[in-house]
Amino acid sequence: MFGIQTWKALRRRGVMGINQRNGDYVLMYNDRRLYPLVDDKIRTKKMALDAGIQVPDMYGIVDTEQGISKLERIVETHGDFVIKPSQGAGGDGILVISDRFEGYYRTASGRMVSPEELEFHISGIISGLYSLGGHRDRALIEYRVRSTDLFDRISIGGVPDVRIIVLQGYPVAAMLRLPTRQSDGKANLHQGAIGVGVDIATGVTLSGTWHNLKIDRHPDTAHPVAGVQVPDWQECLALAARCYDLTGLGYLGVDLVMDKHKGPLMLELNARPGLNIQIANDDGLLRRCQIIEKHIEQRGAKAGTEETARRVARSKQWFAVPDLPEAPSAP
Amino acid sequence: MRSVKLHARLLALFLLVLGGGSIAYQIFIQKVPVTESESDPVWVVDTQVSFQARPNTPIKARMYVPPLASGFTALNESFISNNYGVNVNRENGNRLVTWSARRGEGQQNLYYRLMITARYAEPAPLPENGPQFRPSPALEGAERVAADALLAPIRQHSADVETFISETIKRVNNEDSDNVRLLLGGDHTDENKAKVVDLLLAVAHIPAEPVHTLKLEESNSQQPELWLRSFNGQNWLYFNPVDGRQGLPQDRLVWWSGDKPLLTLEGARNSRVSFSVHRNEMSALRLAQTLRSQDASSFIDYSLYELPVPSQQLFRVLMMIPVGVLLVLLIRSLVGMETLGTFTPVLIALAFRETQVIWGVLLFTFITAIGLSVRGYLEHLKLQLLARLSVVLTFVVIMIGLISLMTYKLGLSTGLSVALFPMVILTMVIERVSIVWEERGGVQSLKVALGTLVAAVLCHLLMVWKPLVYFVFTFPGVLMILASVMVFMGHYRGYRLMELVRFRAMTEQGER
Repeated sequence: MFGIQTWKALRRRGVMGINQRNGDYVLMYNDRRLYPLVDDKIRTKKMALDAGIQVPDMYGIVDTEQGISKLERIVETHGDFVIKPSQGAGGDGILVISDRFEGYYRTASGRMVSPEELEFHISGIISGLYSLGGHRDRALIEYRVRSTDLFDRISIGGVPDVRIIVLQGYPVAAMLRLPTRQSDGKANLHQGAIGVGVDIATGVTLSGTWHNLKIDRHPDTAHPVAGVQVPDWQECLALAARCYDLTGLGYLGVDLVMDKHKGPLMLELNARPGLNIQIANDDGLLRRCQIIEKHIEQRGAKAGTEETARRVARSKQWFAVPDLPEAPSAP
Repeated sequence: MRSVKLHARLLALFLLVLGGGSIAYQIFIQKVPVTESESDPVWVVDTQVSFQARPNTPIKARMYVPPLASGFTALNESFISNNYGVNVNRENGNRLVTWSARRGEGQQNLYYRLMITARYAEPAPLPENGPQFRPSPALEGAERVAADALLAPIRQHSADVETFISETIKRVNNEDSDNVRLLLGGDHTDENKAKVVDLLLAVAHIPAEPVHTLKLEESNSQQPELWLRSFNGQNWLYFNPVDGRQGLPQDRLVWWSGDKPLLTLEGARNSRVSFSVHRNEMSALRLAQTLRSQDASSFIDYSLYELPVPSQQLFRVLMMIPVGVLLVLLIRSLVGMETLGTFTPVLIALAFRETQVIWGVLLFTFITAIGLSVRGYLEHLKLQLLARLSVVLTFVVIMIGLISLMTYKLGLSTGLSVALFPMVILTMVIERVSIVWEERGGVQSLKVALGTLVAAVLCHLLMVWKPLVYFVFTFPGVLMILASVMVFMGHYRGYRLMELVRFRAMTEQGER
């Protein structure tokens, strides 16, 4: 029968299902009390700054209606910036200002926004327009990431990011998330962005996934997605691995962006990372997680956590993809 | 982790054995019927007397209870009261219970429960002789004239007592007649009509008395129905004072006769008597055994059938909730269909009990669609989440009101069945779907809403499936088995059916 064969094939490949992720990983390694650390972008950012992890610079926080008038002063010295709701989900309520013109602000999509409109937007954020459950929220004003041009040929609008799943401080799998026209510039797989697997050992992209399908080319640009080198890969891995020490969450999704000038920056953490990364890497998460768990068990509980560099090195060794795809030749 | 797993497995096993054991005990030792079909109806009549006691005065409540001479057998009769003395005595063919207490305070509740069955009833004994003559009351002036004017044609059109009474009832219910209107004196209740009928019969020296009966059908509150009866020399003849129908239907239980009120109270006020009638099923075998021994040592003891009838009806619904919850759990963990939480589909299924499935699904879809489109419109106005939800919910209530009104005007009675409960559930669902929409987008929220609807329909069908309802209610051990499955599912780590489709791309590569 089709079902049983598929089941067996998935088990053989070590594919992790939702039940397994929830029960054996999220529930097992992530203490619920730690969730607020990752749900609130401002808290995550402050914690990361304290630990010396690279994040986009925070220009200011607006948390009261009175504080909105401070906006002018906060962004005075910055030509471009991003306004985000601290507890927003799915990229809603994010406003990217790329330029100014005659007292107006220009958004990334080219629309002109008056200061009053900007203040109204922040007022919406504070009153909880974009936060889960409508709680009062804070508006975060931060550095606008300038995407490296390395991914220009395989992304449309928006900033691609790299999702790295980390188990107990060991990087498990990585995926480059590329916005598409359908996803409206957002690097969110649910909204139609594509995910491209990344080789842990080298940082070279593999094949991709789009709506649970396997793909080789970007749906909009038709360029092959494989064979692109993610810059500063070693640093990316170290950054992700350190997020475990930072939060104490044992099963963690770390989202990084590649800034043209500042290198990899940690953007966001996720305590329940999705499973599509398996399709992108064409490899089961369960298989990889079990290797790590076996290693930790062998080391014994008394040995404590290995230092970051050792953990990254081990992951590189375990999860190296044997035959990397050829880099696409320049057109 | 391994020890936790073992612990959970042991717990699941323990629950399974406990539940299975209790069911096996009930089936094999107590011989409780496994299905409802091998059963006889047993009517349980619960009477609740409630009143407000006056402080520091002795309380005496006298209430009529059925004389049980007419075609029914009492399986069990009980007077439940706290700190009250109970005394039952006979009086003119009626039975009267007297509850008495030295003092009481505040709200007092007294219960009288009667379990009767028609099956093993003795044939009704020969009736004792009733009165065949009575003196006529003294009527004066206009009333005398009106009574005579009415009686003259009745006499002409009747042959005996039976036809005389039928004719009288017919005349009194003809309100066009001035004579009738005069006698009724503006009070057109059935009770007053019965009184007038009685008066006319008294003038004609025909003995008659009101009888108060209860209808044996499932109901949570009914009032005794008034009948008239007269003794024609051999038998009691029963008449319906409203339509002149003759003969007491099989499903009527005579509660008391005479024109005294059901309840007389001393030392209390604000009294209220409510009847609830419930049809219980009892196997023929058990029924016979209960009747033979008449002591209460049957499986009914310590079972949910011992609860007061309204609570039993509630429990029939309540006991099915875990069944629904388990179904949703399986749908989510095994199939992978997304629903709004675990409990919402079950709640919607409960709401379907009141609206009927098809109508409920239509209503659910229609109103959710309306609610969401209002939401979509409000999104442009950049309202805050809470304000936006409030507006949506208000519109939902307005919509439900309009639908009820429209269907009522169209003569579809189902529209009115949109009672409070389904309405509350619907508004809650719309709120939750809206939140999903906010958090995860429109497509996702439609998917979730559809999943919820499918799960709710399946749950409803399962939860009203009669054999299952009977089984769960009669064998509460089933719940232990359900809990055991749930504990087991808590450690289920296999794929969901939907994931087999989702990750199919990975198997193709792997097999190549």
